[in-house]
Amino acid sequence: MDKKTVTTISYLSRLKIDGEKQEKIIKDLSNIIEFVDQLNDADTTDVEPLANPLEKTAKTRVDEVTAKNLKNELLEIAPSSNEDYFLVPRVVE
Amino acid sequence: MTIKYKTIKEIKGMISSKEISNKEIVQEVYKLIKDNEHLNAFITLNEQKSIEKAEVLDKKASDLPLAGIPIAQKDLFCTKGLRTTCGSKILDNFVPPYSATVIENLENAGCISVGKTNMDEFAMGSSNETSNFGNVFNPWGDNLVPGGSSGGSASAVAAGIVPGASGTDTGGSIRQPASLCGITGLKPTYGRVSRWGMIAFASSLDQAGPMARTAEDCALLLNEMCSHDNKDTTSLDEHIPNFEDNLNQSLKGKKIGIVQDLDLSSLDSEVVKVYEDSLKEFVSLGADLVDISLPNLSLSVPTYYVVAPAECSSNLSRFDGVKFGRRSENPTDLEELYIQTRSEGFGDEVKRRILIGSYVLSAGYYDAYYKKAQQVRRLIKNDFDAAFSKVDVIMTPTTRGPAFDIGSKGSDPIQMYLEDLFTISANLAGLPAMSVPNGSVDKKPIGLQIIGNFLDESSILNFAHMYQSKTNWHMHTPEGEKK
Repeated sequence: MDKKTVTTISYLSRLKIDGEKQEKIIKDLSNIIEFVDQLNDADTTDVEPLANPLEKTAKTRVDEVTAKNLKNELLEIAPSSNEDYFLVPRVVE
Repeated sequence: MTIKYKTIKEIKGMISSKEISNKEIVQEVYKLIKDNEHLNAFITLNEQKSIEKAEVLDKKASDLPLAGIPIAQKDLFCTKGLRTTCGSKILDNFVPPYSATVIENLENAGCISVGKTNMDEFAMGSSNETSNFGNVFNPWGDNLVPGGSSGGSASAVAAGIVPGASGTDTGGSIRQPASLCGITGLKPTYGRVSRWGMIAFASSLDQAGPMARTAEDCALLLNEMCSHDNKDTTSLDEHIPNFEDNLNQSLKGKKIGIVQDLDLSSLDSEVVKVYEDSLKEFVSLGADLVDISLPNLSLSVPTYYVVAPAECSSNLSRFDGVKFGRRSENPTDLEELYIQTRSEGFGDEVKRRILIGSYVLSAGYYDAYYKKAQQVRRLIKNDFDAAFSKVDVIMTPTTRGPAFDIGSKGSDPIQMYLEDLFTISANLAGLPAMSVPNGSVDKKPIGLQIIGNFLDESSILNFAHMYQSKTNWHMHTPEGEKK
């Protein structure tokens, strides 16, 4: 874990870490990664990964609209919107 | 007539015998909240609507199972028309247009949601020190943490403000604060309670559950919280028993698993003594202690700190300043809008976990960390499967010690992560588990953890209830033993 790695994962996470906090973050992340490296103690040869304790595939249902249309309520709580869309800074010049 | 420190069962009795009106109950709750403002247990109150609901109940008595019972809701559940912050600055203006299924279920059962409780930001923390709305205080001391992340809920119940509260538990966030605040809390089987409308942290681990004074009250709340919900694809379509009916079953011949791989030598000798004394109580109730092995238990915290951050980095990508919540001012372009909004809106611990998640999921590290952690997760689950072929429940201390002072864990995040040493494995395996007050160390309460087999909340509730029928630790309050 070094400054370059932290810069890369910060960008992947769309986060900006200020100069004075960078060193602390590098140290914290290094410690955490060193801590989870204990996992290498376990022999996991031929062990199937477990992603979810239920191990069930998502249920399917009849393709019918059941959700209420909350369009107006959702647009109303957006930081910026008009009557049909969420508004963001211009993307295409 | 007061409801302070009363159980749900007692308040139900007071309502039906007309000793107190529904409105008087709600009014007293808000007086108690005011008297206990220094605890900082609540972020948002729901006073006017709560009084209106109580007035309706006073005009026409209801036979709903929890009619008029005041409940505090963790601020992680969406509540229609009532601000829901998840303890974060990024959601400090978020008013959801719908309610979580858990909230609907409790309110449909007659509960009155009196307010939203303070919590660690996005449930990431074990002391409530990561909340954007300030630390919650534990009513058992002047400068004590209540635990976390459901610290506001635990503190409000422990102070006798409300008889019950909702919580959520991703790695111990119901059980650890329950232990530190001297109350009873239960994390159900993964899939038992719908996650719809819960703000997601780690979707394969998150589960909502009840926090209350007694196991009996937890059963009453759990009865209403559980449902099969088509809106949550991991919601289980399994029979939901009446959890109250199974209380009072004899423990004679029941088997309690004692984990041989658990190293208790690092714990304070008083903590170990409290634990061993409660095992003796269970033996005197007729249960047998059986040695079991969970050889991969020591890997549960490192497994969790790969799986949970990975899922959180994915879940929290939705907070981008576009559709809801806070947006940074005057971004020059869309990318800067995302980056500024997230950098201003998230606190340090949340950022740390998002970064760890992005790291373990990134190309080149995925197999070494994420896949490896999922494989170890399987080993941990297999250990539990083997253990439960021999025993009915497993017991451990809930926490390594009683409540600690605010700020005392220093700035090393791993010290805080180890707080959840005993609780995390139940989340990884999806098993139900609860914490029950079982003693006191340095005049501060501490809890016993009871872990059950898949879908067997009934057994852990019965063990807890039988213990509480014989002991009075759950009757202790910060102001002395309840009469």
